[in-house]
Amino acid sequence: MRSAHRKAIIRKIIVYILLLIIAVLMITPFLWMFSAAIKSDREVFKINPFVFIPPVPKWSNYVDIWTRIPFARFVGNTFFLTIVVTLLQLLTSSFAAYSFAKLRFRYRNGLFLAYIATIAMPWQVYMVPQFILMRRMGLNDRLLAIICLQAFSAFGVFLMKQFYEGIPDDLCEAARIDGMSEYQIYTRIMLPLSKPALATLVIFTFVNTWNDYLGPLIYLKTQNKKTIQLGLKMFISQYSSDYGLIMAGSMLSLIPVLIIFLCFQKYFVEGVASTGLKG
Amino acid sequence: MSNMTGTSKSIQIEDLQNALTETIERVHAEKDDRKKKKLILQISKYNSKLNKLKSGKLLSRQAKRDLIAYSFIAPNFIGFCVFTLIPIVFAFALAFMKWDGSNPITFEGLNNFKRLFGDTFFKAALKNTIIYCVGTVPLTMVASLALAIILNQKVVGRGIFRTLAFFPYVASLVAITSVWKMLFHPSKGPINNILYTFFHVPQESLPQWFSGSLCVISMILFSVWKYMGYYMVIYLAGLQGIPGELYEAAALDGAGTWKQFKYITWPQLSSTTFFVVVMLTINCFKVYDIAVMLAGGGSGELTTSATVLVYYIYQKAFIDWDLGYSSAVAMVLFLMVLVVTIIQFRGQARKEA
Amino acid sequence: MKKKVISLLMSAAVAASLLAGCGAQPAPAPATEAPKTETKEETPAAEVKEETPAAEETVEEAEPVTLKWAIWDESTTQYWGDIKAAYETAHPNVTIEMVDLGSTDYMTVLATELSGSGSDFDVVTIKDVPGYATLVQKNAIIPLDDYIAADGVDLSKYAGATDQVTVDGKLYELPFRNDFWVLFYNKDIFDAAGVDYPTNDMTWEEYDELARKVTDTTFGSQIYGTHYHTWRSTVQLCAVLDGKHSILDGNYDFMKPYYEMVLNQEKDGVCRKYTDLKTEGLHYSAAFSGGDVAMLNMGSWFIATMMTNLKSGEYDSSLCGNWGIVKYPHADGVPAGSTLGTITGLAVTSASDTPDAAWDFVKWVSGEEGAAVMASSGNFPAIMTDEVKEAITSLDGFPTDEASKEALNVSNLYLEVPYGENVSEINSILDSYHGSIMTGEMSIDDGIAAMNEEVSALLK
Repeated sequence: MRSAHRKAIIRKIIVYILLLIIAVLMITPFLWMFSAAIKSDREVFKINPFVFIPPVPKWSNYVDIWTRIPFARFVGNTFFLTIVVTLLQLLTSSFAAYSFAKLRFRYRNGLFLAYIATIAMPWQVYMVPQFILMRRMGLNDRLLAIICLQAFSAFGVFLMKQFYEGIPDDLCEAARIDGMSEYQIYTRIMLPLSKPALATLVIFTFVNTWNDYLGPLIYLKTQNKKTIQLGLKMFISQYSSDYGLIMAGSMLSLIPVLIIFLCFQKYFVEGVASTGLKG
Repeated sequence: MSNMTGTSKSIQIEDLQNALTETIERVHAEKDDRKKKKLILQISKYNSKLNKLKSGKLLSRQAKRDLIAYSFIAPNFIGFCVFTLIPIVFAFALAFMKWDGSNPITFEGLNNFKRLFGDTFFKAALKNTIIYCVGTVPLTMVASLALAIILNQKVVGRGIFRTLAFFPYVASLVAITSVWKMLFHPSKGPINNILYTFFHVPQESLPQWFSGSLCVISMILFSVWKYMGYYMVIYLAGLQGIPGELYEAAALDGAGTWKQFKYITWPQLSSTTFFVVVMLTINCFKVYDIAVMLAGGGSGELTTSATVLVYYIYQKAFIDWDLGYSSAVAMVLFLMVLVVTIIQFRGQARKEA
Repeated sequence: MKKKVISLLMSAAVAASLLAGCGAQPAPAPATEAPKTETKEETPAAEVKEETPAAEETVEEAEPVTLKWAIWDESTTQYWGDIKAAYETAHPNVTIEMVDLGSTDYMTVLATELSGSGSDFDVVTIKDVPGYATLVQKNAIIPLDDYIAADGVDLSKYAGATDQVTVDGKLYELPFRNDFWVLFYNKDIFDAAGVDYPTNDMTWEEYDELARKVTDTTFGSQIYGTHYHTWRSTVQLCAVLDGKHSILDGNYDFMKPYYEMVLNQEKDGVCRKYTDLKTEGLHYSAAFSGGDVAMLNMGSWFIATMMTNLKSGEYDSSLCGNWGIVKYPHADGVPAGSTLGTITGLAVTSASDTPDAAWDFVKWVSGEEGAAVMASSGNFPAIMTDEVKEAITSLDGFPTDEASKEALNVSNLYLEVPYGENVSEINSILDSYHGSIMTGEMSIDDGIAAMNEEVSALLK
């Protein structure tokens, strides 16, 4: 019994050591980023001795970034895109998913197959024709293009459908007998139940849209339509040696996604588990 | 007006009724089974039409249900159709064409695909992409599974650790690659500095992380670091779905940690692993931004040691304006993803059978 | 604000001095200027183009026209605004609308904008020849020959630059800026090392020797004798200055000595490592203004950048304020003053619905009036006259020594990339293998062999 107890303790210690290593690996780059953002160019690469916060922190980097490039504009664009895309994605996906999960109708399987098939299709395979099509529609160099590009993903429908299938059909049947219309069932019963799945979808969509690079690179050309990612990249190539500024910009670009993640992460694992994303 | 429609309606009903009785008589007379069935089908059609007319409603119940269902799907499906399905079909067609986006399209047949065989840059891109996938998929899978198992234990601050592990996934690529490039800077970065100061690696042989053959390895390391948190969450969800009784029973039988993993955790997670591997493979083949940002330098150009398929697709399409050829490269990408997915589906199906 | 006023004043002054020299029409005389060009235009337009739109043009000549013009880096480049202001003053009925496409992928973005239908640009700036070739092949810009013939534009004033971008006998752009490569150097570094300044007549060997002399490899206070930006032009194009070779040849063995020189310098710490530059994406301006680079081979556009940024305090003048330029080094047996040129041109899009007005703008900017505006901010217009040179060298901030003034005298100008059918693809290939050689992924011989093979396969 005693040896078993000791074994358990050793095991705990090993687990904690592993955790510590992982935590260090995960967080170091972020700490470095934070530290470099308030250093001068000369201090950035000094590691012997390494100081985390320099004696004279250059907080001015966080101020300068807003004037060196139209950072506020980039942030505004990115916020606009991300919020619209996320809302549209949530709405249309859960709407369509409800139908696929709970209603019987003609061509249901065929339509759903079309969705599934495209999940396995890398976007890059059809990005060129998609671009040509969008340009024909006059969407080139417009924020609307990114919205159209991101808002109707098959992934969202798939995720929400998996979740709805886990909700017992009896619930809907009972509501139908009570005389509720399908739209009422969706808004009053299904939506409130699907918080974890919606939260998961919010995180995925928000992170994807906020951090997307290739999409905006292809579609958004004029300076005042660019997103944070493009702006940051442009800034890096223009002010290549201003490490402090680059890091300050990078730090700023992380904050909104982190906030979103922390807000929704309560539901997150539950969401992944219940949406059948685990396979 | 209403009177007229009223009369025309009663005439219609009468006509239908007559046709119906006639068909019913014919059914009785008919000997051939197949023809009989056809007629019976017709009878049911007449019946439903009659019902519709008599009840005065335009749609049958089934049609109404379909319509409601479609109304749910429509907002997403229209967008999906226009912006995804049509371009995909277009992409397939374009692979057999020659087009520069402005001048008329000409049919090329298989020429685009023939060109691929002699194209050094394509071959380099294909090779790098495959190496990257072969390195990234298993490493990420193992790392995320290990992470999930550790974070599924009852440890203090579990939530914080989970959040930390998920950080890299959430962080923007542009921001995080610029940090990596500082950390791994060939002559000034702390990593090489440590190698130089503490491990006495001579200055000339300090690793050049972002060029030559090390480039793909840096890319692999980076992706494992960035994406393991994401797949960890999926594994965590999978782990939570394994009934606890299984472990209790195994513990009673005296099975150790390793045996528990081998006989319970791993087989129970097989469908999760399948999902993870498929998603990982697809995402790995799509790699573009990691390569451009880690190895591309200011102008974002990639040499043969770092080029990847998507970069080549982009370059051929948006710089050289060879849209047909670019689509042909995209088809190769698609085929590879397809083949890997099918192989895994087969394996999965066999396991379950 | 103040800067703008000064520059405007200066542009007026330069314009005046220019006019005295070449006897061109006065720019600030809209009343006589505008109708003159309009009437000139009428004849060719009626002949070549469909009659109706041309006729309309002349009838309602005062009708307001808006021209949409594609440019890059509006905020950091002064002359776009100067040109717009000067042209609008001269042509009150025309409004120029500038669209900033950013400099990073300017030509890629432009080609995307102009392919197919749906573009509303009238005038586009052409940044490089590969991009120009793409636009020509896509029929996105129109040939200007008929206009040139009708308006009697004398192409000889462009000193042959237009010949090198003529496609099958047709010219699709007019250059308004012509930059050539010179050697920038930091006098303070040479003084500190007690080494003589570079001269206007140096062979590559002498240059190499000088760079090594001034180099200091002491850790922590390194001085780099020279600097090569990551562009392939900085190395490969040293080789085409003998006039015997071109970048479209298909055989690049002649580049070998230059790769050897640069890689040896890199090995000995004479210049920064290519792999470092690539990792940090270090901009050449950041390198030179940092005060630890003695020499830099770069285009003459950097002169204006240095001048403005030193004046605004963006660059620390204690680090790089004491600078000068000399002529590009040359190979043995080649006269000094042979250098590379890069032209920046203007073209009229085929999608423009006011091509005549667009052409007038192109003609104006690339002509003497535009040249005056360009020179006023220290930029090199495509028409180089002694007056323009004088105007630039007398600007406040231009190095005051005689050698720097003399450095602007070019004897032979070779375009970085002349027009060729596959120039865009060749460009990609050369870029890629330049990277491979410089990172050490390939030996010089292997890299050049690969270039030879790939490009000749393309030329076949």
